Amino acid sequence: MADQAKILIIDENHVRAAIIQEGLREAGHLSVSWIKETVGLLAKVTEIDPDVIIIDLGSPSRDVLEQMFQVSRLVRRPVAMFVDQSDSAAMRDAMMAGVSAYIVDGLRKDRVKHIMDMCILRFSVFSRLEEELHEAKTALADRKVIERAKGILMAAKSLSEQDAYVLMRKTAMNQKQRLIEIARAIVTAEEMLK
Amino acid sequence: MKDRRLKIGFMPLIDAAIPIAAVECGFAAREGLEIELIRETSWANIRDKLIHDMFDASHMLAPLAVTTTLGIGNAKVPLAVPFGLNANGNCITLASQLYRALEEVLGHPPADPREAAQALKRVIDKRKKSGAPPVTFGVVFPFSVHVIIIRHWLRLGGINPRREVLFQVVPPPFMVASLSEGIIEGCCVGEPWNSRAVESGVGSIVVFGAEISRYAPDKVLALRDGVAAAENETVHRLLRAYKTAAHWCQDRENHRNLAQMLAQPEYLGVAPKTVLNALTGTLAVNRTETRAIPDFLLFEGEAINRPDPRKARWLYAEIMSGLGHRLDEAQAQAAASVFRPDIFDAATGNNQLPETGDPIALKYGPAFDANDLAGYVKAIEQ
Repeated sequence: MADQAKILIIDENHVRAAIIQEGLREAGHLSVSWIKETVGLLAKVTEIDPDVIIIDLGSPSRDVLEQMFQVSRLVRRPVAMFVDQSDSAAMRDAMMAGVSAYIVDGLRKDRVKHIMDMCILRFSVFSRLEEELHEAKTALADRKVIERAKGILMAAKSLSEQDAYVLMRKTAMNQKQRLIEIARAIVTAEEMLK
Repeated sequence: MKDRRLKIGFMPLIDAAIPIAAVECGFAAREGLEIELIRETSWANIRDKLIHDMFDASHMLAPLAVTTTLGIGNAKVPLAVPFGLNANGNCITLASQLYRALEEVLGHPPADPREAAQALKRVIDKRKKSGAPPVTFGVVFPFSVHVIIIRHWLRLGGINPRREVLFQVVPPPFMVASLSEGIIEGCCVGEPWNSRAVESGVGSIVVFGAEISRYAPDKVLALRDGVAAAENETVHRLLRAYKTAAHWCQDRENHRNLAQMLAQPEYLGVAPKTVLNALTGTLAVNRTETRAIPDFLLFEGEAINRPDPRKARWLYAEIMSGLGHRLDEAQAQAAASVFRPDIFDAATGNNQLPETGDPIALKYGPAFDANDLAGYVKAIEQ
């Protein structure tokens, strides 16, 4: 396709970048590049000379792109934000998803709207997955602490596993705390008394 | 901004001390405010989240509040600045090789900013003759007091900042690597990045921002103009908390605690010693020499916290000069109206007459007269 937009992804997370790239390829966009390292970004962007830039909001390099709003000795083709300032809802969607997009001045937005929609969607899915992973890891860590606290109680008070658990739960309810907080207190106390 | 609950954005920099201390020391809570501080990675994110209502207020580069209001750059949304967070705190650092070139033409290390700039002029002239590429300076944002400081310094040596050097935006975390890879040969940035360059042998500090201007506004507290008007009771409470925090941050007795506080991973995530050096203004400028700079970083004082519209006019004049654009009095007035001493006065009960001295106090001149921007621009550009 002769009039295919050249797309550049700037993202330090290679898994997410791969997911975005795959999505773009599936949608028939073959001219996609990805920059991970961000030292010397301006020169690299100028060399690739993209029509569309997708950047992770967690990257400090967004400020580098701010320099590209005006033509200068370092910037031949100025860019504009893809989402117009007036479209607050779209802007917030993109920011919540953690992504920002720029297009070269003069490129028609409707030509690349589907690219942006796809990127926002994939960024959202990715952050949801990351959140779930984080939750799963926390749950696992919590369970380990509870197991350890149970063991400490069993040894100290010669309780059965079931009784140790009941005691912790009762204490948590009485003190209006979460079970994990009581368990952490037991583990900390034991470490201090060692 | 609901029920005195505020979301406030900040960048992990030492000049975010007041917003952080206001929360950590309980000054905001004492005013009945519940503040959620949100750390950001770029000034562009800060601006966009502020203008799209995801923040109620934010730590911001002073020139960015002006350009956002005027629509220079990316967005056009009126902002209000009711409080200045600091003056100074930046340094100009040169890559070691360029610094050595300056020493070579002088026969000794540069003694002051003027001599350093004059030596740089000779180096630039030599390079021009040999066809070498121009010197590129790294700055933190297209519109920042950092760019303004470098331009003033270059002019001390007779260097034309628009024709003889290039500026490139480099996020502070990439400054040292960019110096070491030769992508830039100098930069103007806050701490700890200059010290990092010195420690790693990549660069030498050649000028302190405080040696160029004593009162250049650096970071400010910015709100959407509409919020400043509609939520004045909450804003007043915030400013009172910030005034108390400014006093606390400026007090030397508290610097050790402040350094510990800012160094925490959720804020700056650096060594407390690094923060302390910047607070006390004692920095290693190269591998052998350490300098103590009075006024290296200032948090408190009427000339700092009370937003002076004349300073906004100065920022406007400097921005236009940098872009090579003509001055426009209507725009200058719009810029001046961003800085809101009226809100500051109402909140803090300040009834002193405003300062009348030079609000910028450029150490090497020219004097700044807010009523004659054209004369000022002509004087700096000559």
